[in-house]
Amino acid sequence: MSSLLKIENLSAKVGGRQVLNGLSLTLNAGEVHAIMGPNGSGKSTLSYVLAGRPGYEITGGKVEFMGRDLFAMEPEERARAGLFLGFQYPVEIPGVNNVYLLKAAVNAKRKATGQPEVDAYEFLQLVRAKMKLMQMDESFLSRAVNEGFSGGEKKRNEILQMLVLEPALAVLDETDSGLDIDALKVVAKGVNSLRSPERAVLLITHYQRLLDHIVPDHVHVLARGRIAKSGGKELAHELEQRGYDWVLEVA
Amino acid sequence: MIPLPTNRDENWRYANLRPLAKARVEAVAASTPPELNLPPPLPGFERWVFVDGHLASPAPSGAIARALDARVAGAAFAAQLDESIASAGVDFALARINASRGDEVLHVALPDAATACVEVVFVASAPGTAGTSYPRVQIHAGRRGRLHLVERHLGAGAGDAAVNAAVDLALAPEAAVEHSRVQCAGDKASCFDTLVAHVGERASYKLHTVMLGGLTSRSTQFIKLAGRAARCELTAATVANGIQTHDVFAEIDHAAPETTTRELFRGIATDRGKLAFNGKIIVRENAHESDSEQSLKSLLTGAGAEAAARPQLEIYTDRVRAAHGATTGKLDDQMLFYLLSRGIERGTAQALLQWAFIEAAVSRVTPSALREDIERVIVKRLSAVASLDGLLAQS
Repeated sequence: MSSLLKIENLSAKVGGRQVLNGLSLTLNAGEVHAIMGPNGSGKSTLSYVLAGRPGYEITGGKVEFMGRDLFAMEPEERARAGLFLGFQYPVEIPGVNNVYLLKAAVNAKRKATGQPEVDAYEFLQLVRAKMKLMQMDESFLSRAVNEGFSGGEKKRNEILQMLVLEPALAVLDETDSGLDIDALKVVAKGVNSLRSPERAVLLITHYQRLLDHIVPDHVHVLARGRIAKSGGKELAHELEQRGYDWVLEVA
Repeated sequence: MIPLPTNRDENWRYANLRPLAKARVEAVAASTPPELNLPPPLPGFERWVFVDGHLASPAPSGAIARALDARVAGAAFAAQLDESIASAGVDFALARINASRGDEVLHVALPDAATACVEVVFVASAPGTAGTSYPRVQIHAGRRGRLHLVERHLGAGAGDAAVNAAVDLALAPEAAVEHSRVQCAGDKASCFDTLVAHVGERASYKLHTVMLGGLTSRSTQFIKLAGRAARCELTAATVANGIQTHDVFAEIDHAAPETTTRELFRGIATDRGKLAFNGKIIVRENAHESDSEQSLKSLLTGAGAEAAARPQLEIYTDRVRAAHGATTGKLDDQMLFYLLSRGIERGTAQALLQWAFIEAAVSRVTPSALREDIERVIVKRLSAVASLDGLLAQS
């Protein structure tokens, strides 16, 4: 089994504060991993460090993504190589419409792998099909990226982008936060439709609820910047019942 | 000899006035116009073309506008209505020079309740050494008249023309004028203009200024909300690349009750470009229940770029609403990272965000055919660093 993502002993600081403390984690193709943990445990930091957001200082360890040194790659290179970050707070970009961003992103990826640009008509058909899956109205295509979207619409838009980009590794940062149960099911359906033997998903979540709909292969508890406990999907239920404290005590 | 403004004059601090001092004040003589490559006419608009201040196209049939000899055109409408304008000081020096030196005037006297769409294209083709070109427009919109006015300034030839334009508008009660003006002069041109508008009771004046060309460009705008419930919507967008200087001074004078202003400025300075927007709003003692909003933002994307977006409020009564915000900054890091995280090239992402920034102002330009023209010019300029193919086709 080939590892898509191999995090070894990763430490990182943000704003002078040590947030990740020797975190190790390996994701193989075909797997869905969930990372759970209390607020402030470093969950979002992990997702940003993986995607390459500025302002995070790597103080130790290394990360291999598809056999390459992740930290030697710019954020846009990581994306083109197949890493996708679903933002906890998707950014509004007035003046740039959704379909333009989608197409520019797909073409950037294709260009990087020596493929020609997408056919405009076929692309639109593909996007429409994915939008239907995400129960998004077609008017979203011509609207500015996330501008004036409700919280749930933004999250669906993240998943739509993911479905169109077909990443090898999707890191979804609290995609479930702020969603009602219907929206949660739609988002879960989108993520499940991407599951395949070639891909991996890293779900970062605070609650077990999402994991009823996207069933993970592995569940990890993040505490004080490292993996404090790992287990199967049943670990999520145990956390739901017992809270995080017992894990922290053990750790 | 009319004294010229200097950088010590309050409203001229940011202007590059060197070209004025060097310019030849004589009007460019009329001559056979050069071969022009004009943008396609706007559907539904009568088009007038002036080259170096001289009429260069036959009058459109059934036209509402007229080209008049400057000597018979008489004093400007707004100045007739308001003595303070006619006798004003150094801020109007350039307009007075225009009035004394210019030869021809585009004159629109829109009858009450009439509707018209007029496009005037001013082409500056002669080099500055041949003199200054003096475009001039006079508008009187009658009661409940509706005028859509497009004013374009373009360059031809070597592109080092000197232009001093003057526009004068008077809006009778309940008139509505929408005025889009685009400066796309040659890249070595110096462009100065003075605009005066007198807005009557319940009249509405929308002014959209887009400044893209020229080496030095300064627009001086005075809008007087003279009648009760008069309204002004003022938008300005500028992109200063290379070593361009773009400077807008806009004063809106709330001189009557219940008057409203909505002001939006977006400017981008790249490379060593400089831009300034000075938005002055005066609320007079009797202008109670007036309401003004200003949103002024400029974006710096070059190490040598400079920008100043300055709101200025003078309020002489308590019963008013005035909201203003001004920022000068760099591209939003979060937006940039979001685009990068989708695999977009850094250069493209930056150009895209610049586009999005300026589009907030450009999107207000009407008619849509003109707006699309402008958008193409802007995209082309932003694309100097990255491809934005397909951006407009989709939007």
